[in-house]
Amino acid sequence: MRMKKVLAVLLATSMLVAATGCGASETEGTGESGSTETKTSTADGGLVPYAEINLGEDFTDLEATITMFNHRTDMDSDDYGGVNWKQYLAEFNKVYPNITVEITTDTNYADDALTHLQSGDYETIMGIPAVDVADLSTYFLSYGDLDTMSEEINYADTWMYQKEVYGVPSTATTQGIVYNKKVFEDAGITDLPKTPDEFIDALKKIKENTDAIPLYTNYAAGWTMGAWDAYYAINATGDAQYANQKFLHTKDPFQDYGDDTHPYAVYKILYDAVAEGLTEDDYTTTDWEGSKGMLNNGEIGCMVLGSWSVPQMKAAGPNADDIGYMAFPITVDQRQFASAGADYSYGINVNAPEDEQQAALVFVKWLTEESGFAYNEDGLPVDASTDETKLSFEGVTFLKDEPAVEGEEDLLNELNAESELNINNGGNTKVQEIIEHASIGDMSFDDIMKEWNQAWSDAQDACGAEVIY
Amino acid sequence: MATALEKTKCWIRSRKGQQVLICVGFTVIPLFLLFLFTYLPFGEMVKFSFYKMKYSTPVDRRTFVGLKNYFDVFHRKDCFGALTLSLYYCVGAIIQLVLALYLATVLSFKVKGGNLFKGLMFFPYLISGIAIGFIFKFFYTRGFVLDTILTTFGLSIEQLPYWLKDQSVNNWSLVATSVWRYFGQNMVLFIGAIMSVDSELYEAAQLDGANKFQQFWHIILPSIKTIVTLNVILSITGSLSAFEQPFVITGGANGTGTYFVVMNEIAHVSQKVGLASAMAVVLLLIIFGCTILQKLFFKYIFRDAESEDESYAAKKARIKAEKAKAKALRAEKKATTSVMQEGV
Repeated sequence: MRMKKVLAVLLATSMLVAATGCGASETEGTGESGSTETKTSTADGGLVPYAEINLGEDFTDLEATITMFNHRTDMDSDDYGGVNWKQYLAEFNKVYPNITVEITTDTNYADDALTHLQSGDYETIMGIPAVDVADLSTYFLSYGDLDTMSEEINYADTWMYQKEVYGVPSTATTQGIVYNKKVFEDAGITDLPKTPDEFIDALKKIKENTDAIPLYTNYAAGWTMGAWDAYYAINATGDAQYANQKFLHTKDPFQDYGDDTHPYAVYKILYDAVAEGLTEDDYTTTDWEGSKGMLNNGEIGCMVLGSWSVPQMKAAGPNADDIGYMAFPITVDQRQFASAGADYSYGINVNAPEDEQQAALVFVKWLTEESGFAYNEDGLPVDASTDETKLSFEGVTFLKDEPAVEGEEDLLNELNAESELNINNGGNTKVQEIIEHASIGDMSFDDIMKEWNQAWSDAQDACGAEVIY
Repeated sequence: MATALEKTKCWIRSRKGQQVLICVGFTVIPLFLLFLFTYLPFGEMVKFSFYKMKYSTPVDRRTFVGLKNYFDVFHRKDCFGALTLSLYYCVGAIIQLVLALYLATVLSFKVKGGNLFKGLMFFPYLISGIAIGFIFKFFYTRGFVLDTILTTFGLSIEQLPYWLKDQSVNNWSLVATSVWRYFGQNMVLFIGAIMSVDSELYEAAQLDGANKFQQFWHIILPSIKTIVTLNVILSITGSLSAFEQPFVITGGANGTGTYFVVMNEIAHVSQKVGLASAMAVVLLLIIFGCTILQKLFFKYIFRDAESEDESYAAKKARIKAEKAKAKALRAEKKATTSVMQEGV
């Protein structure tokens, strides 16, 4: 009898706690911000901005507990091939023993991060998810203006609104094709393909001369299909203004320009490869985790993925040296281009108490300049003062997408949502459909592009985007 | 003041006071939770369905668009058209219920190892939906489990379809998964209901010479009609909102995107929260409609059992007899009055 009463009370209290618990933790520690010792001591004791922090000298006795939310679940594991989060934090705490960083990672990051933001109760540091740039200041702290930040880091304009920078990239990647050198050799491919035709020929050679699957689409995973969107701009046009400026105002951007360039050429490679049977037999049951090992073992010729995938492919089996990375096979005026862009960028919670914000600034700066994160992850450097990288891409010009012109920062997002093509924004379905149509043969590639053009034009009308090009 | 306080204290401690407090407590708390976690979010969603907005759009920048989202739901072929896929799942639901009812009837009589079978068939329901997704993705992969089993029966691999790639079979593959998962649960509910049927009825029927099928049709089915109705409603509703199987196994690609999967895609990829909310409201109305129709339908087919003592035919006969009686009575009355008048 007594037991039941106790249980009932416990149940009731747990419900109450559950109902009220959400709002409780927000107010902690706001009073302490005055006590932080700043070596550069600005008179009012306000935040010291990113650019003015001297790592290893300032704030070494700052006491704070900050949280960080990001997508690198693999780096939680002790088995991770590179440096894992635990090792980074141990290194950080040698210099800043009193700043505790709690890192949470999530496999469904892109969605869950938005949910966190929307709830209003989110982590001190977050990889900035797909928010509209106009809303950046609602959620994140500004690191400083563009001119100052450009001297500190590369890709400062990735998350910028009205000349204020809200994100520092964790690392930077480039876009190309990850391939197995040995398979290409065995197939008798001596020169890497530079045009769509050469690429399809190379795939055919792989099919004839080896047992490997020439091109593995990874259709089933979904996001691996959306990865094809990464090539439509710089890789296919050699124009840094294309993605964020010209593309928005182009009439029928998916039309055939007749010279194997522009978005048309990118997606046509996929359509042709599938139509000619150069991809896996049953695309609906592809397995992403398994594909890494298959590429490593030479069962797959190549996959179209960003350079971030290279360390994972190398770690997936014994043949790390066989993994190579090549530029996307499109040549514009005899030159090949590759876009270099930021991976997830760290944003700092604008609503966090001041001492936590300061600790977060220190941590982000440390990650960028001292930790070697970008280098360890086979990325391009983020810290503007170095150009160390493991990537070698010969004869390819690196460009980075220029930001949208002022007043049009959100136009691409709007057009993406309105047209539902969601280019570079999770639009996996449309690329999957290319494979379906190519495989079943019920729709020609030109018809698909016509549909896309229509959707884009309708969206341009709906969002009031002027058609100039 | 003090006395008033004393009085309330006293009242609280009294039996009546305790009763009132418990009654109020037990109604207010659940109702509050229900409101907070069900009706409040639902109200918000209905509100969203009239706006053009993304998740991250701050409240003041959401634009009111009236009924445009609802118009879009019916206008776009990928929204409303996705409901046709529910037909596959409806067929699956019917197969699932018949199978469950059959097995439940068999298992509720004395069967060797009956409990083991019950356990084995209920087991899939206990596995998490995500795990089932992965199991079946490999189950259907070319040259994996299903193909291997079928080739041992003499079929060559060329004769077999690609279970998930071929658009004429892939929806059936997904429906089969769903049936496999849920029929055990239906079966257990049916067994529970059948257990409550008075066993004397079977004995009496046996004495009257009724076979097993007649026993099922005339005793079991009418006795468990409430559970049957409930299961049918749940299954049909479930098939209208099928989500787990297509989402986990195919991600809704390749012509398997059900209404729910499309809704999820629109809400989370294109971030058209208003349109997705409108889709949810429309689906809710459709499910309401279906449920009401089913209720009416079952009222019709179970009307025999509806009246406890007499069958529908008997009732009709009785009413007819009563009418005839009344008519006869009136005729008689008329006759007597006319006779009386004559007499006068």
